Amino acid sequence: MLLLLDILTTAAILFVVAIGLLAVFGVLKIINFAHGAWLTIGAYCAVVTGKLGLNPWAALPIAFVVGAALGGLAEYVIIRPLYRRPLDAILATWGLGIVVGQLITLAFGRDVQLTPNLLSGTVEILGTGYSAYRLVALVAALVIGAVFALVIERTRLGLSARAVIMNETLARSLGLDTARVRLVVFMIGAGLAALAGVLLTPLTSVDPTMGVGWLIGAFMLVMVADTSFLALAAACLVFGAAQVLVSTFVSPVLGSIAVAVLAALVLRISPKGFSRA
Amino acid sequence: MPETVPAAGLAAARASGRPRLARAAPLAVALLAAMALWVAPLVLDTFAVNVLTRSMIYAVLAVTVDLLWGFAGILTFGQAAFFGIGAYATAMLLSAQGGAPHWMAAAAALAVVAPLLLGLAVGWLSFYHRSTPLYASVISLVVPIVVTQGIYSGGERTGSSSGLVGFDVLPLEIEGFFRLAAILLVVVTLAAWILVRSDAGRLLVALRDNEARCAYLGLNPRRLQIGLTAVLAGVAGLAGFVFANASGVVAPENAGFLFGTELVIWVALGGRGTLVGPVLGTIAIDYLAANLSGDLPFLWQLLLGTAFVAIIILLPGGLAELARRAVSVLPLGRRAAAPRLAARPARAAPRNEAPLLSVEGLAKSYGSLTVLESIDLTVRAGELVSLVGPNGAGKTTLMRCLSDGTEPFRGSVAVAGTATAGLTPNRIVALGVGRKFQVASVFESLSVAECLRLARAAHEAPSPLRRADILGLPQPVLDILRMTGLDALMAEPARLLSHGQKQALELAMVMALEPRIILLDEPTAGLTKAERTTIGTVLKGLAADLGIAVVLVEHDLDFVREISSRIVVLHQGRLVLDGTVEEVVGSALVRTIYAGGAHA
Amino acid sequence: MPETTQRDGTGGLVLDGVSSGYGAVAIVKGVSLRVGPGEIVALLGKNGMGKTTLLKTILGLVALRAGSIAIDGRSVAGLSPARLVALGIGYAPQEQPLFQDLSIRDNLRLALASDRLLPEALDRVFGHFPFLKDRLAQRAGTLSGGEQKMLILARALMLRPRLLLIDEISEGLQPSVVDRIAAALTAERAASGTAMLIVEQNLGFALKVADRWAALKLGEIDDEGGIDGTARERILGHLSV
Repeated sequence: MLLLLDILTTAAILFVVAIGLLAVFGVLKIINFAHGAWLTIGAYCAVVTGKLGLNPWAALPIAFVVGAALGGLAEYVIIRPLYRRPLDAILATWGLGIVVGQLITLAFGRDVQLTPNLLSGTVEILGTGYSAYRLVALVAALVIGAVFALVIERTRLGLSARAVIMNETLARSLGLDTARVRLVVFMIGAGLAALAGVLLTPLTSVDPTMGVGWLIGAFMLVMVADTSFLALAAACLVFGAAQVLVSTFVSPVLGSIAVAVLAALVLRISPKGFSRA
Repeated sequence: MPETVPAAGLAAARASGRPRLARAAPLAVALLAAMALWVAPLVLDTFAVNVLTRSMIYAVLAVTVDLLWGFAGILTFGQAAFFGIGAYATAMLLSAQGGAPHWMAAAAALAVVAPLLLGLAVGWLSFYHRSTPLYASVISLVVPIVVTQGIYSGGERTGSSSGLVGFDVLPLEIEGFFRLAAILLVVVTLAAWILVRSDAGRLLVALRDNEARCAYLGLNPRRLQIGLTAVLAGVAGLAGFVFANASGVVAPENAGFLFGTELVIWVALGGRGTLVGPVLGTIAIDYLAANLSGDLPFLWQLLLGTAFVAIIILLPGGLAELARRAVSVLPLGRRAAAPRLAARPARAAPRNEAPLLSVEGLAKSYGSLTVLESIDLTVRAGELVSLVGPNGAGKTTLMRCLSDGTEPFRGSVAVAGTATAGLTPNRIVALGVGRKFQVASVFESLSVAECLRLARAAHEAPSPLRRADILGLPQPVLDILRMTGLDALMAEPARLLSHGQKQALELAMVMALEPRIILLDEPTAGLTKAERTTIGTVLKGLAADLGIAVVLVEHDLDFVREISSRIVVLHQGRLVLDGTVEEVVGSALVRTIYAGGAHA
Repeated sequence: MPETTQRDGTGGLVLDGVSSGYGAVAIVKGVSLRVGPGEIVALLGKNGMGKTTLLKTILGLVALRAGSIAIDGRSVAGLSPARLVALGIGYAPQEQPLFQDLSIRDNLRLALASDRLLPEALDRVFGHFPFLKDRLAQRAGTLSGGEQKMLILARALMLRPRLLLIDEISEGLQPSVVDRIAAALTAERAASGTAMLIVEQNLGFALKVADRWAALKLGEIDDEGGIDGTARERILGHLSV
């Protein structure tokens, strides 16, 4: 039972971290290697919120807005010129990640920062205590997933985004302003990354390079999910389970690379990953 | 994902117009560099000698990254892992056995062989028929992560997170290690330089430019990519051996993904695809970093990151491109002399009446959409068969099924009696099939002569050491070149050719394969009237004089009527008519199909 | 044919010496053509002659290399497709013309800039193609070939365009469906005075709906004329083997 909860909450955290990257990859067909830096930006929004003495939960909307605004700037200055050079875009966004990391270091120093607790304590489940916050993370993933699905399925923006994913040429010929759709989706993806950064603060130490460790996992999950949001959820569950099981029964070190290795193998066998199922 | 890297970088390797001098240039430069580096420790202070030793070892890695990424188009973050394995293999063996000469030799051998084997495995994983460049980059990210985690979990043997220190090393002073690193750098760079200037080196660029064309020239892109990955993994391992000896310490960071990205950054800043750019860039940046990062650690990283982003966006050729722009202002003529053309005896093609191409019951569908249905077709030597039909009739799909046995289709295709099911394009080419694409598929960065030499590469392996002065081509190819005027443009880069010249070049490349069947997809699209006439004459000659079977898809029905010996009409995925020109032109059915309204 | 054409030389679509292409390839070479307000012009020619590229050039999907394009007297060269569609150009493409995995409703929605205009526009196209009304939730990819063509046309009509560009809408269709499409086009022209440039290979359809025709060969206008007694034979000369 606890193992199952571990799997679910691990999958939830992976999902929260990867969803912003998926949105950007789906619509812009570009891999945003600055995603990790935006996780860091989100976490530092939580730090600042704490220093200002605000309610810790206020960090969520603040991070989303800050992340989206900075994301808009990045899209305009860096992504747009590289739209037709996707491999170069990987490199440029990685460079952007370095710049962001160093700017944060200059502003806050290299040390680990303390963030206010979003929620502490444990919950009694079947006679054992379980981290209450991990359950919150599970709920957060469900909420983010549901809102994301609603936006995709029910709104005009979601429709435009799907149209661009499916057939960008046709979308353009129907008069869709595809450049604007890309900008808005990038902003949302960046906002979601920052939001995820806040949600990560109770689980990981906050320092200027914290995002990098999460980036590779999220990247591999998105590669496997291709552009499908449901495939991402499935991939998070499967690889999250693998990570928890390998860590528990084999070795934590192997567990930490389970996602990357399994994803690479899945892609070798089926280049479209989970999205075909 | 085709990257638009300015190919101008190759001009540097193409060197001057005086061949004899140009050939000696790399050796002379290498000798001068080696001499300068030999005396350098005498004038530099200890700090500089130490730092530059490390910088030069990193520059060796930068050369391997440049060969993979800048030349062959494989963006890799994995060279750090191979470097780390070489360093760790050295450190672990020397820790366990001590530094006796035979163990030292064993360590050097292990430092090369272990990464080489891993490189083979990684190459096999990264490159397969229809794999994407992005996938190879993904794998190259995973490798250093896996290797690093392996080091962390290695306990005492790998020293876990603190690494290994205190093992026996080569009995050299710091000047000695400096000179060792310098020799390694000069040798590796010289070898890379000779390779990229050679005929075989053009193959790397060809892979980057147009992998599909390589396969359709009968070359095996996978084998080349895997081989390159493995060999350069070995070179990175050797650099790891020198690093472990020179520094006396190895740490997990040496194998990590972050170090892998740093290598890519150095190469990008220096100028990918130039060799000298990455070497100088790496040394300069690493040396500056060592000097500046003590005083301004974060600011330095910030500046480097900003410069990297700016270079990627604004100057994809790196600082080397900037230097070249400055130099090209000076009036220095530097176009390589083209090789002399020579006719080589044609292979006697046995002519017989057995069908060269036979298609039975071919059918293909995408999901529920049927594109081709029960196609039967036989083509014999000397026939010139035109496939016509309205858009969406399935003509191009049929061509694809004929030239790529891995396309999923039902029914059978046989070339001269050999079934092609499951064969990759390069193996079908080996059966004697040449394919010309609709959009001229040539190597944009290469010269006309280089394109043609690669077209012969499946028959005569190009030299990895030098460029040949003579380009031997079958007589029909020489005829095509003469008729189209390409013979006067042998040194011209293909990207500067007109559309019609590119089409002619591609046809010449296909004919250089000495095929028995050629498949041509709209060879006259976008050509002028004069060019059409020329191509028509060439094709008729190939069929009539050489007995080559020609199958072409064509929209220009005047052209079809002019040259065909048979016309096959496809409509809505079915073969509705197969007859002589007169039969098809006079057919009421064809008239209806082209005027619209006909139904299958 | 109702004579709704204005001949003042400024209205409608005016192409003057239009050239365009891809990469080093010139596809359309110096085409001059005029489609007056409320006029239907059929552009005929064999495959690969540049008809589709010409439509894409007008819509800004392919860059104009030389010449000028004006709509209702205003130069539109260099405008983005989004701007041109906002000016009232409807386009019914031939290749990959539908979002196969989206519903009929979503396919139609995408033609409009805002959902506010949706009910009215839907009502109008239901008038032409009533079958769409009951099947709005159906995936476009599950429609039959003829139904898909009608959906493509319905979508192009959603924004009540001033100028309609149609690429081989009759391709592969049964005569009854071709007739329905022809009826929809003539009705829309009568109701809204829409100018139309229709690329066709179906001679019967072209003769039925068009006021004038032009034949494109190797990117140039080879021949043109009005729809009269000699049109059929002349056009057939350009289309057949």
